[in-house]
Amino acid sequence: MAETLLTAHAVSRRFGRVIALESIDLELRSGEAVALVGPNGAGKSTLMSILAGALKASEGQIAVTGSAKVGWLPQRPAHYGRLSAGENLVLFARLEQMDEPEREAARMLERFSLPSDRLSAYLSIGNRQRLSLAIALLGNPNVLLLDEPTASLDPKQRALLWGEAQHHIAAGGAVLFSSQNPEEVERHATRVVALDSGHLVFGGSPEEYTVWEREP
Amino acid sequence: MKTLRDAALLTHKDLVSLRRAPLVVILLALYPLLIAGLVGTVAGYANSRPRIAVVDLDHIPAKTTVAGHTYEIKSLINEVAKNVRISWMSKAQAAQALRTGEVVGVITIPHGFINDLKSVSNSPQVGFETSQGGISSRVTQQMQALIYNLNRKLQDAYLKDAIGYISIIRGGGTANFLGSDYKVLGIEKARALLAADKKNPQAAKVVRFLDTANGALRASELSARAVAQPIRLATATRSGRGWLLSAQMQAYALALTVSILALALGAAVTASERDENVACLLGRGLVSRFSLLAAKIALATIISLAVGTVILLAFGAIVEIGGIAGGQPWQRIPLVLLGVTLFGAALGAIGTLIGALAREGRSATLGALLVALPIVLLGLIPREIAPPAGYVSDIFPFSHGERFFSSALYDLHPWATVGPEALWMLGLLVLWGAVARLAQPRLTES
Repeated sequence: MAETLLTAHAVSRRFGRVIALESIDLELRSGEAVALVGPNGAGKSTLMSILAGALKASEGQIAVTGSAKVGWLPQRPAHYGRLSAGENLVLFARLEQMDEPEREAARMLERFSLPSDRLSAYLSIGNRQRLSLAIALLGNPNVLLLDEPTASLDPKQRALLWGEAQHHIAAGGAVLFSSQNPEEVERHATRVVALDSGHLVFGGSPEEYTVWEREP
Repeated sequence: MKTLRDAALLTHKDLVSLRRAPLVVILLALYPLLIAGLVGTVAGYANSRPRIAVVDLDHIPAKTTVAGHTYEIKSLINEVAKNVRISWMSKAQAAQALRTGEVVGVITIPHGFINDLKSVSNSPQVGFETSQGGISSRVTQQMQALIYNLNRKLQDAYLKDAIGYISIIRGGGTANFLGSDYKVLGIEKARALLAADKKNPQAAKVVRFLDTANGALRASELSARAVAQPIRLATATRSGRGWLLSAQMQAYALALTVSILALALGAAVTASERDENVACLLGRGLVSRFSLLAAKIALATIISLAVGTVILLAFGAIVEIGGIAGGQPWQRIPLVLLGVTLFGAALGAIGTLIGALAREGRSATLGALLVALPIVLLGLIPREIAPPAGYVSDIFPFSHGERFFSSALYDLHPWATVGPEALWMLGLLVLWGAVARLAQPRLTES
């Protein structure tokens, strides 16, 4: 049986009087790719932020199993524009307290075919997204949270990104990705979780989700 | 250990980013310097003469004779009004000018002023009205000085007159009293006449009396001369610095430049973490909030130190090259830079708070500038003029920094000022740092 890497139990989040999430339960197990779907404002990014540890839940708990680590690709590219891709990677590798930050950064630059010395503010949106993914993968996380990772990528860049995700899953990791693209969900997800207005409204296989979605 | 290491890594990152935006750094340094120059120039004129209206209800004639002396009272008033600008107005004009702030005070010369002055027996009065406000006490002092100077001029004339009468009573001659000339024999001549009459025994008694009276009058004459000027003020003008190179100006320039720079920088670099969407990555446990706060305060401090050093060196170079009196106190520069460190850090903490609250770079910079100006201006208001402004200013670093720099640069014994002000700035760093720390979660919240 696949190992549970990350658990969310009865997670709620309020912003003032607005309820963004209401009592969400979720488990991520090794070797699975879970698609988080739902309309805009459903609470997908809020849940991702809470699972990543960037945002505190108003109620409920997040549990990361044993030595599992969580990597997070936010919806918007997250890196320093006035540093090059290489400098960004070295900085984040140092903050991750990796043993050989320069070597790790060089490895990531090569793996993601990123230019080393160009300021990241001047990189294409695809390269910026790949840089953010490279930063998310620093420290070899077991769980990878991808918040609408392909929204602004061309088909080639998408293929590269999903290749990385598959590589991660094959290595025993888990991926939770949010998406508005049904084809992507059908092709890459092993399980689907649907949110609506902060409530978990569906959990099942992609096939079940397709049926559920067609129901009136 | 990790906390400090992370703070150092983030500070280094910010320094590298700033180095790649030299225009921003130059603007950040030049803009406050420009403001400092302008404020300094305005502050230099703060002691300029306020405008006073004079209302002449007595229709003072061009020339007035008092106690045998002829005065041009209007000219005299204009002459003694060294610290104010006099404008002669009608009563209605003066009232309007006072309401609108065109003048800060109105002197009213009432009906009968000249008659009272001429009578010598009644002291004439002038009325003085001033507007409420910060400089009213200063204007009142200047009015008191004006009346004092006017009294002195008249007093000199009265005393000169009195001394003249005493001289004539003693030595004889022609005296004018209330417009009529009188021939006076004088005590000394009267004594000589009586002394020549050796046959009259009563004359000898009168001569002795005249000797006593003459001695007493001579003593009175000497006293009157002394009373005319009991204490003399010897005024000498020495070569010294002009306002633009004064100690005060240097302290203002330093405090103002660092204030705007540290506030704007602290706010901008803090908000930029959110702008670049990195705050959320750091905030998920990668970096502690204290490290992030410390990094931003450290950056504001380092840049403040760099710019402060440049300002001090620039002032010093101008002073040395120009051969300005006093020179630059080079040995005090390390002490000043210690103050700049505390000052920049305390302001950086406030800037970090603004950056966290604003959450967006442009709003943060604008917010910092909006906050900087009141902080600076509050610190420039003299405490004795508006004590509440002084109390409010105390919870911000500007006035403490300005007093620290001024004292560190030019006081003979600066420690009595520098010590308490350093403690103030340290306390404000802790206070504002704690408030900024509380605001940090806003950086990662949507």
